[in-house]
Amino acid sequence: METKTVVTNRAAVRPRKKRRNQLPFAIVVFLGVIYVAYLLAGKSAGLAISWIFGICFGVVLQKSRFCFTAGFRDPILTGSTSLTKAVIIAVAIATVGFGAVQYAAASKGGAIAGSISPAGWHVAIGSIMFGIGMVISGGCASGTLMRVGEGFVMQWITLFFFVLGTLWGVRHWAFWQRVFFDGAPRVHLPSVLGWPLAITLQLVVLGALYIVADKWGNRQKD
Amino acid sequence: MVEYRLDCLGEACPVPLLKTQKKMAELQVGDILVVEVDHSCAMKNVPEWARKEGYNVEIEETGDGEWDIYIEKTK
Amino acid sequence: MKLENNKYFKAVVKEAWPYTVGAVLLALLNISLFIVTGSAWGISGTLLNWGAKLYQAVGGQLQNWFYYSDPARLRALETPFFSHGGSLMNLGIIVGAFLASLAASQFKIRKIKSVRQVIAAIVGGLLMGYGTRVAFGCNIGAFFSGVASFSLHGWIYGIFIFVGAWIGSKLLVKYFM
Repeated sequence: METKTVVTNRAAVRPRKKRRNQLPFAIVVFLGVIYVAYLLAGKSAGLAISWIFGICFGVVLQKSRFCFTAGFRDPILTGSTSLTKAVIIAVAIATVGFGAVQYAAASKGGAIAGSISPAGWHVAIGSIMFGIGMVISGGCASGTLMRVGEGFVMQWITLFFFVLGTLWGVRHWAFWQRVFFDGAPRVHLPSVLGWPLAITLQLVVLGALYIVADKWGNRQKD
Repeated sequence: MVEYRLDCLGEACPVPLLKTQKKMAELQVGDILVVEVDHSCAMKNVPEWARKEGYNVEIEETGDGEWDIYIEKTK
Repeated sequence: MKLENNKYFKAVVKEAWPYTVGAVLLALLNISLFIVTGSAWGISGTLLNWGAKLYQAVGGQLQNWFYYSDPARLRALETPFFSHGGSLMNLGIIVGAFLASLAASQFKIRKIKSVRQVIAAIVGGLLMGYGTRVAFGCNIGAFFSGVASFSLHGWIYGIFIFVGAWIGSKLLVKYFM
């Protein structure tokens, strides 16, 4: 994919700006990260773990330029599906891991953990709002945090108003609860369909979506 | 052969790519478009799109977190 | 031999990783987090925590809000920032991205270019914030972790996020470009 091509007939390279090597700063920040982890570990191991996971998520998001927003937006807007396919891969791998953890807990009679919330029309309304917001502001929650770290002033504003938006959302909680949440079931698919069917179905659907995304990305333009 | 510059500094995704797609459509075969970006994601998705179109692409880092993307319209 | 020319340094620190590598690592991190802490990755719940604390800091009263009539929710706000795992994780994402961009010598303060960017940031931020409360999560908590947790709400989210992205794309091209 990353085949190197050469642009012929190129005008002479412009004089470059003076560049700084930022690696020394990176080393200082890295030592700072370790020190903070050490301080947190003194309070509780869990806090240090959360911190380190956050750092890892941030590094991976930035290095791979991973962008959930682009995964949902680009097929519609630019015709590219490379991030859509990447998002599907991430979800498929996580499905297997989460499934194993949940199954192990369930077979011992434990509670099913994970991100399981009431399903209903409110999810559709909220995700449409979120979808509009992430496209016009150029990044979802993870993308905004990552770009705050990369130095985008615009995303600092987005983050501030994102925070205000969550508060605004719970301000109207009584309405949403009365009209939508009350009676909305928390549906854990394997508890309804059984484990073999739920896992198979989910992976087959993800696989089918991957094929559709691949075809969509490679279709010929007319 | 003409070389055009497209200033996308400070533009967030997907604006640089959309502007590039629009501009490339106006170019003649053999022309070169230099897209200036400082968005780390645009530096990945603009070349990816151009390569898929079959254009010649080169990326040059011109400053801290700033890139010039050279795209040659080959067809 | 200069470090900048070392091919491993270049591949790992300097150049961008392929999207698929990011996908695999994010999935493994989310699974590990789920195993270690018992909770899946989420971001926006913590942002509400920040908003509520901010509101209290400027003198706002939350006791009479319906949402905070649940005393457990009010008590959760008493945890200081540096003793709150979610806050540390979100801060970690910011610092991690900062670290990675510095290591590649690609950190730069990207200034605001136009008023329309400010408007996009305000409108986009508010819509996302509100949306996460109603949808029970963001792309991470509701979709990535939600679908992986086999929650039906994750799939509903995954279908309708495309509708939102489509409307957003129309608005972006018309008003924000």
